[in-house]
Amino acid sequence: MHEAAIAKSILEIVGERLQSLGAHTNAQSVEVLFGEFRNVDPESVSFAFDSMRALFSGCSDCRLSINTVTAAAHCKDNHHQYRPQAENAYRCPTCGSGIGKLLQGEELDVVNVVIEIERPDKEKKQHARVGR
Amino acid sequence: MHESADEHAIERILGKNEEMADHNREHFKSLGACAFNLMSAPGAGKTSLLETTFKIAGGKFSSCVIEGDMVGDLDADRIKKVGVPVHQISTGRSCHLDAQMVARLLHAEPLEKADAIFIENVGNLVCPAEFPLGEHRRIVLLSVTEGDDKPIKYPVIFRNCDLVIFTKCDLLEHVDFNISEAIRHIEAINPAVKTMQISAKTGYGVEQWAAWLVSEISEFKQHLKSDKHVHHTAH
Repeated sequence: MHEAAIAKSILEIVGERLQSLGAHTNAQSVEVLFGEFRNVDPESVSFAFDSMRALFSGCSDCRLSINTVTAAAHCKDNHHQYRPQAENAYRCPTCGSGIGKLLQGEELDVVNVVIEIERPDKEKKQHARVGR
Repeated sequence: MHESADEHAIERILGKNEEMADHNREHFKSLGACAFNLMSAPGAGKTSLLETTFKIAGGKFSSCVIEGDMVGDLDADRIKKVGVPVHQISTGRSCHLDAQMVARLLHAEPLEKADAIFIENVGNLVCPAEFPLGEHRRIVLLSVTEGDDKPIKYPVIFRNCDLVIFTKCDLLEHVDFNISEAIRHIEAINPAVKTMQISAKTGYGVEQWAAWLVSEISEFKQHLKSDKHVHHTAH
């Protein structure tokens, strides 16, 4: 169960980006890519992420959006492009040879973080005064 | 008033572990040691393989072992008994070693100078595949009692390794494990991989494994020398 470690790493990356933007920031969402040729279960990561996010400053409302990347390979003998799958023992369905090059499917990346930036206190107070 | 910012930069989720692994790799290099990460399911025979290796081929290169276990130091005691320095990492509840755990050990205890450092990972065919530790070579053990379909079930670990060792081969006549089928499955996922058959109990195949180690260690040392040469000429 390394999914908790993955969820924690995602939250740490979000936390670092919040910090780099200053004190009054909250993360709204984080988008990640999981390749299907990685040992990562999206549901377990989501569960761990939701359980842990309140422990990370500015992340308590952060939504995790997971996109899975289908694997794509060139077969090693004839360079057909195909999706390596367990039911074919990851072989090329056209010629039966194995994976030559894996073109995609090994991603494990944060691709986007949406962050809400609050105006500094001083300006907020000014707003409040104007409002009265 | 709120503004929002989209932070589009792509970042590897396990990038911190990879950086730490690079740091460990440099550390092992500075000791002149080639590091091997041994991974397998629980009970495939990682410790037995190391014991037999040190007994049969211990004179061919000097070694040091890092033992990763969830609990206890039973494996470390076995390695100590064959006279090889050993360092224990207890992972607690974690199902794999990560580069940070290895780095903590490296800062806490000086490792002996050795030609080879064997890192015995926690027994697990899933999680260790995702966490490089700073090794120079990755080795997966598959015991013939586990079944020849395991490479299909755990493709990630078999794709990302340099050598697969079939262990407990003395039991081959008693089990329905088809070695050539298993090799075919592994090569479909990892065309560059090498495979070997070993029995730690009878010593079968250990000479071949020791010869592989000697050749990898010497190739590694050759690289070290040429690295140093490049470094000197660069200045």
